[in-house]
Amino acid sequence: MSVDVTGVDRETLVRPIQTFTKRYLAALAVAFGLIGVWLFFYVQQLQHGLIVTNLADWGSGGGVPWGLYIGAFIWWVGIAHGGIILSAAVRLLGMDTYQPVARLAELLTIAALTCAGVFILIHVGRPDRLVTSVLPAWPTRVQWSPLMWDVTVITAYFVLTATYLALTIRYDVHRLRDRLPNVLEPVYRVITVGYTEKEDQVVERMVWWIAFAIIIMAPLLLHGGVIPWLFSLLPSMAGWHGGVQGPSFLSIALTSAVSGIIIISAAFRYAYGWDELIPDTVFQGLAKWLGFFSLIFLWLQLQQVITGIFAAPTTLQHATEVKIATPLYWVAIGLVALAMLYAFATSLRPELYDIRVLVGMSVAVLFGTLAEKVLFVVEGLQHAHFDLYAGVPGAYIPSPVEISAVLGTVGIVVLFFLVVSKVIPVVELHAIEDHEEVDA
Amino acid sequence: MSTDDESMYATPDEEHRRLLEETGYDADLGMEMARDAQKVSAGDLSEVEFYRRYHDRILEEFDVDDREVDLPDPDEVDSGDVNAIDRIEGAFEGIGETLRGVDGDESESRRSVMKKGAAAAALGLGGLGSAGATTGGDDGAAGAGGGDDGEGTRWGMTINLNNCDGCLACMVACDQEHNLSEGANWMYVFAFEDEGQGEQENFLPRTCQHCTDSPCTKVCPVGARHTREEDGLVLTDYDICIGCRYCEVSCPYGVNYFQWGEPDVPESEIDDDHQIDDRGRWVGSRPPEGVMGKCTFCVDRQDGQMGEEKVGTTACEEACTMDAIHFGDLNDPESPPNQHLEEYRSGQENDLEEFPNRKEHTVSTFKLMEERGTEPNVQFIGNEPSPHAEQVEGPVAYEDMGITDNRKEVLDRGADGGEEA
Ligand code: SF4
Ligand code: SF4
Repeated sequence: MSVDVTGVDRETLVRPIQTFTKRYLAALAVAFGLIGVWLFFYVQQLQHGLIVTNLADWGSGGGVPWGLYIGAFIWWVGIAHGGIILSAAVRLLGMDTYQPVARLAELLTIAALTCAGVFILIHVGRPDRLVTSVLPAWPTRVQWSPLMWDVTVITAYFVLTATYLALTIRYDVHRLRDRLPNVLEPVYRVITVGYTEKEDQVVERMVWWIAFAIIIMAPLLLHGGVIPWLFSLLPSMAGWHGGVQGPSFLSIALTSAVSGIIIISAAFRYAYGWDELIPDTVFQGLAKWLGFFSLIFLWLQLQQVITGIFAAPTTLQHATEVKIATPLYWVAIGLVALAMLYAFATSLRPELYDIRVLVGMSVAVLFGTLAEKVLFVVEGLQHAHFDLYAGVPGAYIPSPVEISAVLGTVGIVVLFFLVVSKVIPVVELHAIEDHEEVDA
Repeated sequence: MSTDDESMYATPDEEHRRLLEETGYDADLGMEMARDAQKVSAGDLSEVEFYRRYHDRILEEFDVDDREVDLPDPDEVDSGDVNAIDRIEGAFEGIGETLRGVDGDESESRRSVMKKGAAAAALGLGGLGSAGATTGGDDGAAGAGGGDDGEGTRWGMTINLNNCDGCLACMVACDQEHNLSEGANWMYVFAFEDEGQGEQENFLPRTCQHCTDSPCTKVCPVGARHTREEDGLVLTDYDICIGCRYCEVSCPYGVNYFQWGEPDVPESEIDDDHQIDDRGRWVGSRPPEGVMGKCTFCVDRQDGQMGEEKVGTTACEEACTMDAIHFGDLNDPESPPNQHLEEYRSGQENDLEEFPNRKEHTVSTFKLMEERGTEPNVQFIGNEPSPHAEQVEGPVAYEDMGITDNRKEVLDRGADGGEEA
């Protein structure tokens, strides 16, 4: 099923680095604009505290203490986890078709993890203490707090991904050095420090093992583990409990990540005329994965709804009834279902495939998964086992300050890709040349 | 115990030394004494011997003389003399006080008070003094913990719902005592109607349950929410909390109130005595901005910082004229919560002669959602609200007492809505 893109030359590969267009500047302006909007609002939060959000205390307080910030945090972590899982799968299973988008997926992981970090930073009441309180507490708290598990695993995972990227980038930079701009010489020297062609074989094995570790860790620890455990281990909220959260979170992560990769790959293909480098087959393949993951996502939602309403304990039943009475939930489910149907339809009838529709579907899926995640957090907090309070379920609609942060982080991802694509090749050399060819 | 009460910045020894050095007193003496004080707690060293060892050096270092504390001459003390031991304990408490109050300056910063408090704790002086005071001479103050092992102090409550008439006096008292911001109702009184109980109103005063197996302390990523070893109080260290609100999310009872904006009462208006506990940690009164707060069982009172007569009392208990709230040491059979339950039980008619199959008492008691596995230290006399119970308006409206029920209304006014939350 492999596609042959080996006809593409090295010139094409480094095109983003060698060009500088008005369109690029416009994209840069959009990225800074989005970040600027967020910073404008965020300054208010710095000045006045979290009171500028629409969060409040649950209980007599009539609100919810976690909201969009935490929902968006999980969403970004999901995109990140999914991205690296897909890239690891490509390397591990030798799925060469997707080689042209593997590095984009890895870069997306780094960018998305950064955004997740931003959300933790702005979620807490005392960001100034993140280092002074967390580091000293780590040795004694890591065995207890699921939040500490998260911080630990996400950090470990960031390091793994960065290592993985760094190792493969050295290879490319060394070989494409003559086509890369001289102004960035110091950067390249750092990237390739100590590089000799003898390391290639070793690196290849290392990369394989890292990919292997990521695939193993994914369901056990990452998005199938510590992230859902943040919620499913608590004794307080009815809607969060249960073992289905792990698989459910993982399915959402994979669905979101495929969507993210589709959007970013399509953007690069469009901007740099990379029709040959990232051919339609890649997108058609990704569409199938999107359909498949959407199906699993929907299946796990069905599991939760059915077990939640058929003779379930009172509080869980109540939580589930409210969930399925929420219009936004059905919007989220509907968007994912639509994407699934489209993806499957295109594989049956290839003439239905249109990259613009696919990108549109991907955007819809990302909106749907974000909505689902935020609902999961908020509605979870609205259905405590102890619901004697008149103030439970609490009310919550995100404030402009909170919504702007989602825009800001999207801006960060765009900016990240704009900058990185000017420095290193975002598609690896192996996509266009086999090992022997490269070294010949 | 799920939390580790020790400092997490360094090994305990290093941390104590650092604190001791910052106080400007002889750190070596402090460290030696701290070690020996632990031996005393463990019963490996007698108090008299401990006293003998350090008598002269303490006098030299702290200038504590016979005028301030009545130090018996070490050579005249014999270990069988019970009164001498009492006097020695008294003397050590005196030194602890002296150390805490060095400079004796009112305007002293909170931080320096904290350091001295911690230094005194490191010296083992406070521990030695209170071991005698709170456990009736039992040793093992160091490891007693707030557990359910029946040793040491375990503060708790018995709340008699049959006595409560929903007057809300306790809520007001708590609000004032702890300088709470509007709507942060550390004490909250429900009026509710339940299925099968007709139109009759029931009341439920709700504090933090100070759970022995508290989810909030387990989930806290930084150990700010912790159980105090000496008496089982569940407290928040306002100096460490990062404001992630995980404790609030994990607590099954909804008793946490985050400080979303600037507190209504500025710190300058609150005495250090209310804020810093006997370990030198900032855990009392309302939290600062961006930090979590909740009922502390009036930690300042329990540490004797509001006077000896207030130890073993809480503001809500004091304000309750209906005899509904009873606070005290649950490990002590004579304490008010245990006594009240005992008396109330025996006060109910129970004709065992005519109905020999009856239990010994007919009084219904419960703990809130015990099935959640939290082991609450608040028990109630009366009927537990069923899952179908609903909160209703009580005989006294919250507004009439100057209390805001739904805090979201306050928060929605925003940072500059005239009033800050
Ligand atoms: S009632 Fe809630 S806040 Fe209080 S100790 Fe129990 S879990 Fe923690
Ligand atoms: S809000 Fe503070 S006390 Fe509560 S879990 Fe977070 S850091 Fe701990």
